[in-house]
Amino acid sequence: MRDYLVKRIIVSLLVLWIVASLNFIIFQVVSPINPVDTFAPSSLDIEPGQLERLRDVFGMNDPLHIRYLKYTRNMFTFEFGISFISRRPVVEEIAQRLPATVLLLGSATIAVILVGVPLGILAASKRGSKLDVTAIGAGLFTYGVPVFYIQLLFMLALSYYIRIFPVRGLYSIPAPTNPFTFMGDVAWHIALPVLTLVVGGFGGWALYTRNVLLDALTQDYIVTARAKGLSERTVLYRHAFRSTLPPIVTIIALSIPGIITGAMITEYIFTLPGIGRWYLDALTQADYPVLQTVLFLYAILTIICNLIADLLYGVLDPRIRVGMRR
Amino acid sequence: MASLFSKNARIVLVRRIKGFWEEFRTKKVGLFGLGLLLVYVFFALTAQWLTPYDPMSQPRLAQSYAMPEWVTLFPQYRDYVKTREWPFNWEIQSGDKFVTGWGSTVNIAFNTATPAEVKLVNKVDFQQIAPNEFFSKFRYEAANIQNAEYSLTLEFITPNGTRYRFWTSPTSSEDEAEDVNLDSKNPIFILGLGFPLQRNVGRAIFDLKGEYTFGMMVQYRPLSSSAHSEVVIKEAKLVTMGQVHGILGTDYLAKDIFTGLIYGARMSLTIGLLAAIVGTSIGIFVGVASGYLGGYVDEIAMRIVDILICLPLLPLLLALVYLYGRNVFYIVVFIAVFGWQGLARIIRAQTLSIREAAYIDTARASGAGGFYIMLRHIVPNIIPVAFASMVLAVPGAILFEAALSFLGFGDPSVPTWGMMLQHAFSFGGFTHLAWWWIIPPGLAIIGLCLAFVFIGYAFDEIVNPRLRRRR
Repeated sequence: MRDYLVKRIIVSLLVLWIVASLNFIIFQVVSPINPVDTFAPSSLDIEPGQLERLRDVFGMNDPLHIRYLKYTRNMFTFEFGISFISRRPVVEEIAQRLPATVLLLGSATIAVILVGVPLGILAASKRGSKLDVTAIGAGLFTYGVPVFYIQLLFMLALSYYIRIFPVRGLYSIPAPTNPFTFMGDVAWHIALPVLTLVVGGFGGWALYTRNVLLDALTQDYIVTARAKGLSERTVLYRHAFRSTLPPIVTIIALSIPGIITGAMITEYIFTLPGIGRWYLDALTQADYPVLQTVLFLYAILTIICNLIADLLYGVLDPRIRVGMRR
Repeated sequence: MASLFSKNARIVLVRRIKGFWEEFRTKKVGLFGLGLLLVYVFFALTAQWLTPYDPMSQPRLAQSYAMPEWVTLFPQYRDYVKTREWPFNWEIQSGDKFVTGWGSTVNIAFNTATPAEVKLVNKVDFQQIAPNEFFSKFRYEAANIQNAEYSLTLEFITPNGTRYRFWTSPTSSEDEAEDVNLDSKNPIFILGLGFPLQRNVGRAIFDLKGEYTFGMMVQYRPLSSSAHSEVVIKEAKLVTMGQVHGILGTDYLAKDIFTGLIYGARMSLTIGLLAAIVGTSIGIFVGVASGYLGGYVDEIAMRIVDILICLPLLPLLLALVYLYGRNVFYIVVFIAVFGWQGLARIIRAQTLSIREAAYIDTARASGAGGFYIMLRHIVPNIIPVAFASMVLAVPGAILFEAALSFLGFGDPSVPTWGMMLQHAFSFGGFTHLAWWWIIPPGLAIIGLCLAFVFIGYAFDEIVNPRLRRRR
C-alpha cells in the first residue's frame, strides 16, 4: 500500500511539473502577447529606458532556461507574483476570492449529490418504473443541456420577470452589518446559482448511480442473496449498495475539478466574485501572473482529486485493497 | 475506407451495417434522435434559401429588440406592426411654374432674376401606433448652378400642427448631390429637434393618429441677372421600424434572429462533427497503438493521457483561444486535441483483449506484420465502440464550443448559438425581457445535442451487450 502511495505521489508530482511547464510554454515562450506591454501599455508614453528596466524587473531579459528555472521554482514554492492589473500579490487576491467559489461549489455539490444519488438508487430499485424512466431522461438531458442555458432561463424568469432573486453579486450593496442578516443576504444571493447547478446536474448523478447499482444487482452474489430468501430491501441496501460506494465516491472526487472549472460560467453569469470570474477578467486583461497561478492551482486540484479518487477506491473496495497489498 | 478491406471483408462489412441498421430500427430513442438530426441537417443545408438575409451583415430590418410577428395574435400586442415603408409622392404647394416634373421625383428649374421658392408637400396617413424608431431619407441633386444660391429645408408637421424642422441644407452656390439620412437614433438629429438625448423621438412625434405632413422648401436667390439653377429631389421615403418582425424578431442590432438560428445549425454541426471525428481518430490511433504494441509506446501514451486528464480544460482552452486568436478552426483543433484521452483508454483496453484472440495469433503465425494486424483485425473490431463514442463526443464538442462562445471567446466572424446567447446576455436581452432572443438558441443547442445523445444511447445499447435490456 505504501509503495503504491509513494509511486502515485511521484507520478502526480511529475504530471504537475509537466503541467507547469506547459503553462510556461503557453504564456511565456510561444505567446504572441508580451507581458511588459500589458503592464505598461504604449499609450502610457513611457521612456524606452524605463521600459528596458521594467523588462529587467520582470526577468524578460534573462535567457529562456533561466526564466524557466525561476518560473518553476516560483510555482512550486507558491511564489505567484503580483497581479498586473491590481498590483497586489496574487496570493492575497486568491484568499479574497476563494470564499465565494468554495461557498458556491460546496453548497451546490452537496445539494446535487443529495438529490441525484437517492434518485438513482430509487430508480435502480424500481427498474422500468416511471421513476426509472424519469431518472434516465434527466440523465440524458444533462448530456445535452448546457447548464449556462438553464441558468439564463432561471435568471430571466426569477430575476427579471418575477423579481424575487437578485441579478448579480454575492451580497447586497451596501452589505448588511448584522452578521445574521448578512448570512441571510448571502444565502438569498447564492440561492439561484446553487438551484440552477442542481437542476443542471442531478440527472447525471442519478443516471450514474442507477447504472452502477444495476451493474451490482446483476452480480452472482446478489442472485445468491436472493436465493437465500433475503428480503429485497436487505439485498438492495446491505449487499448491492455497499459495492456501489467505491465508484460513487470516486466519481465525486473525479468530478470536483470539472465542477470548479464549470463554476467559472456560473460566476460569470451571476457576477459572483470568485476564482472563475477572476480568471475570466484576467484573461481579457492579459494578467499573466493571475492566469498562470489559477491554471496551476486548477491542475494541482485535479491531480489531488485524482489521487484521492484512486486511494479512496482502494480503501473502500476490499478487492482492490488486497490487490494493492500484493 | 474501401481500400482498407478486401472484397470479402467488404461484403461482411455491408452485412454488418445492415444488421446494425436492423437492430437500430427497433430503438425508438435512436430513431427519434435520427429524425431530429435530419431536421437540423435540413436547416443547415438549406439555410440560404430559408432566409433572405445574410447572417453576419444585415440592414436594419425593424427596431432593435422587435418581437416575433406572431405575438400580434395575443391581445396585449395586437397593435404592434411590422416595418413599413412610406414612399413619398410630392405635391406642389407653391411655385409650380418652376416645377417641370413631380411625383416621386421632382424636377425644379429656376431661371428668374428674382428670388423664388418652391414648396412641396407629402402627406402621410398614419393610423398605427407610434414607432420606437424611424428614419427618413431622400436624395437631392443640384446641377447647372449659375450665379445663384439655393437652400433646402425639410419640415415635419404633426396632425395637431406642431412643426419640427427635420433638416436644413447649407446655402450653396455650387453643384451638389447628396443622400440625406434622418435617423431617429442619431443623437445630432435628436438634439436638432430640441429633444433631450434619452428621449424616444419616434414615440414623441408620432404620438397621434392622423395626417402627418412632410414639407420641403427649396429656396433660390439669384446673384446676377443671368442666374440659373436646377434641383432634383428623389428617392424620398419614410420608414417606420416595426415593433414586430419575422419568425423570431430581432436582436439589439435589429438583426433577424431566425437567420442567426438556422445558420447557427450549420456552424454547430460542422464544429461538433469535425471536433468529434478528429478527436475520435486520435483516440483510436493512440488506443490501438498503445494496446497492441505495448512497451514504451504504451507507457508514453498512457502518461500523456494521465497528463491530459489533469489539465483544467475549460480555463486552458479559454487561454489558448485568447492568446492564439478567436478562430473557429483553432477552436475545433483545440477541442479535438484535448478531448481524446477517455476514448484512448477504452480502445486500449479493447485492443488488449482482442490481441489475445486466437485469430490474431493465427494471423501473426502466418506472417502478418503489426501494422497489417492493427489495421485489418483490430481496427474493424473496435469500430462499433469507437463510432458510438464518437456520436456521444459530438454533443460534448458542441456544448464546449457554445460555452466558449458564451463566455465571449468564440469566433466573432461566424454565427453560433453560443454567441447569440452571449450577445443576449451582454447587450440588453434580459433588461428588454427579450425571450424571443434568449430562448431559441438554447433550445437549438439542446435539440441538436439530444439528437446525438439519443442516437449514441441507442448505439451503445447495440454495441455494449451488457447494457441490453433484460426484457
